[in-house]
Amino acid sequence: MILQIPLIEQITPRAGQMFNLAMLILSGVLVYLSYYLAKQGRTWTIRPMEALDAIQEGIGRAAEMGRPVLMFPGIGNLQNVQTIAGLTMLGEIVERGARVNVPVNTIPSATEIVTASEAIVRDAYNRAGKPELYEIGKYVKWFGTDQFVYAVGGAGHILVEKPAMIVFLGYFLADVLVTGEAGSRVGALQIGGTADQSALSLMAMCCDYIVMGEEIYAVTAAITEDKYQIATIASQDWFKSLLIVFLVAGVILTAAGLKSLINFMWW
Amino acid sequence: MSTMDSISRFVRTRITRIVIVITLLSAVAGYFFSSPEINNLNAELNLWNMNIITFTLFIGLITIYFSYSKSVSQRSTNWPFRLYALVLIIVWIVMGLYSGLYSDMYQTAFLSTKITLHIAILGQLIFFYLSAMYRTFRVKTLRTGILVIFALAMVVLNSPITLSNWSAADQISYWLLNNPGMGGARAVVLASGVGGVVLALRILMGLEKGALRATGG
Repeated sequence: MILQIPLIEQITPRAGQMFNLAMLILSGVLVYLSYYLAKQGRTWTIRPMEALDAIQEGIGRAAEMGRPVLMFPGIGNLQNVQTIAGLTMLGEIVERGARVNVPVNTIPSATEIVTASEAIVRDAYNRAGKPELYEIGKYVKWFGTDQFVYAVGGAGHILVEKPAMIVFLGYFLADVLVTGEAGSRVGALQIGGTADQSALSLMAMCCDYIVMGEEIYAVTAAITEDKYQIATIASQDWFKSLLIVFLVAGVILTAAGLKSLINFMWW
Repeated sequence: MSTMDSISRFVRTRITRIVIVITLLSAVAGYFFSSPEINNLNAELNLWNMNIITFTLFIGLITIYFSYSKSVSQRSTNWPFRLYALVLIIVWIVMGLYSGLYSDMYQTAFLSTKITLHIAILGQLIFFYLSAMYRTFRVKTLRTGILVIFALAMVVLNSPITLSNWSAADQISYWLLNNPGMGGARAVVLASGVGGVVLALRILMGLEKGALRATGG
């Protein structure tokens, strides 16, 4: 069946959504502005992120100990933006590991992530100039799509392989407690990051370093050391500053009995 | 680079990006505007999306099948488990196709194996919680000290003995959850939303070099 794009004859804005649309457009403008400024030569420095430094340190530690690194991209599928961030991190860690001959294993959950992970690992070995080290099924392990099958499989893998560093980055729930505890038992350096609040507290209990909420998107851009990606983090901060202005103004105006800002937001 | 490679690269990079832009514009238009034409377009794109997701499921299964088959044929570490997994994948597919997903046989097999094991693991979580709490609550810094004070406060305030003897206990715990707790939680949600939008825009602009780098040739 061929997709037919119809002519739009009637269109009406959805009530209460126009402010959201304006904010979406504004975020797009800010991202483009930061990209444009980066192209003009403007550079941004990112505040030191402990987790980022720990990843570099962990790969070195793994090389010294002769043990592998393990990366969990979470239980989300490809439609989950947190999983995309996890896969970005996977590519970077595999490439850095490949350069110093540290094998980086990964345990995806959804079957489409298995395929994506294989492609990313193969690509990372090519970029590291060691394509001969890549082998299908060697680095990407799969235990199942179910949350706890994934967790128990991951925990078993940790106890057998004893990785020097474990990175959790993506969408997780209570499963992270099972794998995180197994990681603690084998003395692995653990770095966890997610935007899910229920898993964040569990990660805080198990991991040595955590990346909270939006930091997972910032850390994945920062690790690439790409100036354009880092520039977009600046736009993220501009937008957050604007949100803080809205929050403060909203509190003051609401306390003063004025509903103008709230009405504007429901435009 | 040969012509075939160039075409392959073009399909994997440019075409992928064009498809992403079209579907994003359609989804955004459908979310913010009401129009029969846009709704129809969205419905059709959703159908395509469903087909692609189903297709990727099979691609994933095929990847796993080849990977595990190789492991079994080479007798690599844990190969018997992989053989067992391969057999189970085939058994479940055949059983589902033969008897139907909602048949008594399939549902009984599913509930008596997968769900039972799932509940068993869920029940064990308390041990993992206790083990993690033991390590976390060793106060080494000011931050962990504050965490412990609030965690203990929540435990004590929600315990039956406190609730039955002190009427203000649940008001204090609700205040802690609804004010400092909720404020922090919303900050995480708002910032995560902004981060997600910016990541999506990076993908659209072709800046993201992560998940889509595999398509970069």
